[in-house]
Amino acid sequence: MKYLLSAIAAGMIFAAGMTAQAQTVGFADAIKILAVSCGADIDKYCKSATLANNGIGQCLDQNQAKVSQKCNADRTVVASLIAERLAAQAAAPELCARDATQFCKGVKPGAGHILRCLLKAQPSVSEKCNTAIDLAGYR
Amino acid sequence: MKNLFFAGVAACALCFSATLASAQTELSRNQIINSLQGAQEKVEVSADALQRAALENIQKYPGADSPQTIPMYQQLASLRQFNIEITFDFDSARIRPESYEAVGLIADALHTPYLQGQTFFIVGHTDAKGDRTYNLELSQRRAQAIREALVTTFQVPGSTLFSVGLGEEQLRDPADPFAAVNRRVQLINMGYN
Repeated sequence: MKYLLSAIAAGMIFAAGMTAQAQTVGFADAIKILAVSCGADIDKYCKSATLANNGIGQCLDQNQAKVSQKCNADRTVVASLIAERLAAQAAAPELCARDATQFCKGVKPGAGHILRCLLKAQPSVSEKCNTAIDLAGYR
Repeated sequence: MKNLFFAGVAACALCFSATLASAQTELSRNQIINSLQGAQEKVEVSADALQRAALENIQKYPGADSPQTIPMYQQLASLRQFNIEITFDFDSARIRPESYEAVGLIADALHTPYLQGQTFFIVGHTDAKGDRTYNLELSQRRAQAIREALVTTFQVPGSTLFSVGLGEEQLRDPADPFAAVNRRVQLINMGYN
């Protein structure tokens, strides 16, 4: 019981730590995290799996019962942080629409022009939009 | 979403190649963005046509080495592009775990507004070691593997990515045909649809 509690606590600290730093993560960072958590399991159970068809993810799913607790737990956390980042990216244009009209008059939309303008205008941009940009990982 | 993986860098966990990676010039998402963004012109070259042209180059100019550059490929020279080294298992299209992070960085770059909505070629190249047709096919499978990794694990819209394998037909350093710089993946911004 004691062990179980400390495992849960450790999981919470992990999640909290990640949220404090980044709140969301991109794919490259996700790999760095999971390299540490799942590297040994992949070596053991998924040696011939490929990244190409999401094979490694599927392999870890199939071996979930054998895979280390830390790998399983961190995959769940990382997956949700990535989902949050993708959702934040989808939501950012609307959350920043008002700021874009206000601070980026005459800037042609597309190819990241508006984003570039909003990044430059950061001190004046609303907190809502700045947060959206942070969560989208656009800085 | 649950079966999302992206990867444990298996080899990395053992050999600590993270240190190695940063000792070399460290690759960043913004480096990839800066090289690829700003597509201006549009070149009417399809991935299929380029792939066919590479095969025809071998048929038309047979021999151990490619004596000729592919004119269609030359048309792409002025486009925004980025060369990246992705390592694979020997004679295989299995991306090595130490390259997962690099593929993740490409994905992160493609998920930004700077590159969204544009079309990209993923072009695989080998060095000149071995048979030309074999190299062509291997590079084709490898470019395809990168595309699939980006589309599945890394959730990049598949409609924006096309893979092509050019084998040893277009060496980066023709003076040194076996040099490592020849083994590369070239990302080319083909502009807006």
